[in-house]
Amino acid sequence: MAEVRDGEVEKLGVLFERHHQPLFNFFVRLTGHREFSDDLVQEVFFRMLKYRHTFQPENQFRSWMFQIARNAHFDASRKRQREARLNSPVSGEEMVAPEPTPDQRAGRQQEIRLLQRALARLPLEKREVLLLSRVQELKYNEVAEILGCDPGTVKVRVHRALKELRDIFRELTGEKRYEV
Amino acid sequence: MKCEQVREEFPDYLGGEISTPARARIDGHLAGCAACREELNSLSAIWARLGSLPEEEPSPTSEARFHAMLEAYRQGMKQANRDSSPRVTLADWLAALWPRQPALQFAVAVLFFAAGLLLGPALLQRQQYKTVTVGTNDRALVQLREEVSSMRQLVTLALLQQPSASERLRGVNWSYQIEQPDREVLSALLRALDSDPNVNVRLAAVDALHLFASDAMVRRGLLRSLAEQKSPLVQIELINLMVELKEKESVPVLRELSQKQELNPAVRQRAEWGLQKLG
Repeated sequence: MAEVRDGEVEKLGVLFERHHQPLFNFFVRLTGHREFSDDLVQEVFFRMLKYRHTFQPENQFRSWMFQIARNAHFDASRKRQREARLNSPVSGEEMVAPEPTPDQRAGRQQEIRLLQRALARLPLEKREVLLLSRVQELKYNEVAEILGCDPGTVKVRVHRALKELRDIFRELTGEKRYEV
Repeated sequence: MKCEQVREEFPDYLGGEISTPARARIDGHLAGCAACREELNSLSAIWARLGSLPEEEPSPTSEARFHAMLEAYRQGMKQANRDSSPRVTLADWLAALWPRQPALQFAVAVLFFAAGLLLGPALLQRQQYKTVTVGTNDRALVQLREEVSSMRQLVTLALLQQPSASERLRGVNWSYQIEQPDREVLSALLRALDSDPNVNVRLAAVDALHLFASDAMVRRGLLRSLAEQKSPLVQIELINLMVELKEKESVPVLRELSQKQELNPAVRQRAEWGLQKLG
């Protein structure tokens, strides 16, 4: 990224190859919309070019990328929300679970679908912290850098979010709610 | 170790970011605490499920879209570099000169103000001195003025030759804007005074020539015209002009006019009045 910043913008192609799929996955799980996520991925890479001067060599590229990703998602969903308010009463922050593909219908696929639905019910901040730390497999201090808080706070948030997700998932699968 | 403390460590435990002694402490507690064991198992199950979510494939057009955007951006950068690099460097250079500290900025402002107070009067004196000598800029200005003036003369001449009386009238009016008209323009005006078929054009020519009456040729022309003019309106206008210019040489012509019996009575009276004024 340092080379991109110093004017070799074509090097961004390498970064796109390496990171666009994880980024797309992050957005799909955050929003539940594939098309919207595709647009967001493009937006993130465009912002990387536009704001390439803000990249510091001591930054982790992935942290920087997810910072941009969060901002892009925030801006885009606020825009969608404004538009949604005009068109339908559905709030833009709510996530819709992705439509199941045919092979997701059977067996273990059912479980994945339920997990996606459970994720969709989680508030945005909790969904986000779980996606970053578990699905993207970032270290807690990297997540802390992205969210702009300290690692201790991230751990507390992960813990709470995970408990809530577990409870929702249990509810969906019909298990009895586990009392702690 | 209390259950609460142990559970606080679960995210580290699940994320694999835990030191061996801490892991041993937690394992020790779990061995003796069924509730905590159960809690960790359920959280770890959901944690594992989250980690095994299937990979989603971005749309096949994603890559093409990205490369199109990158290419467009590169072209835009090239264009911007070509268009604005000297301007940007100049701006950067100026920005580098400007101090960042507000206190220094203030100091610079005060310095310039003081310099203005000190240098202002000195410069003013030099400028007065300079008006005597003509600098390069002044020469260019003079040249420009000459060009404008010759352009106006051309317009005047062209208009005076038009068949329409109103155009010729405009030609006469244009001549007002010429500071020092050359022979050609002056003779064109005199020709208009003598022989223009339209009386309004001739009257306007009298007014225009009034401005240039210091010229000897104009004076002679005016005198000749006074003797030969047929229109009473123009004659009266010319008599007025002679009086205003205090033209002594017009006295013989005026005397002749005042004695011509076939002349318009108003013109004769005006000629007599002129004689009194000049006599």
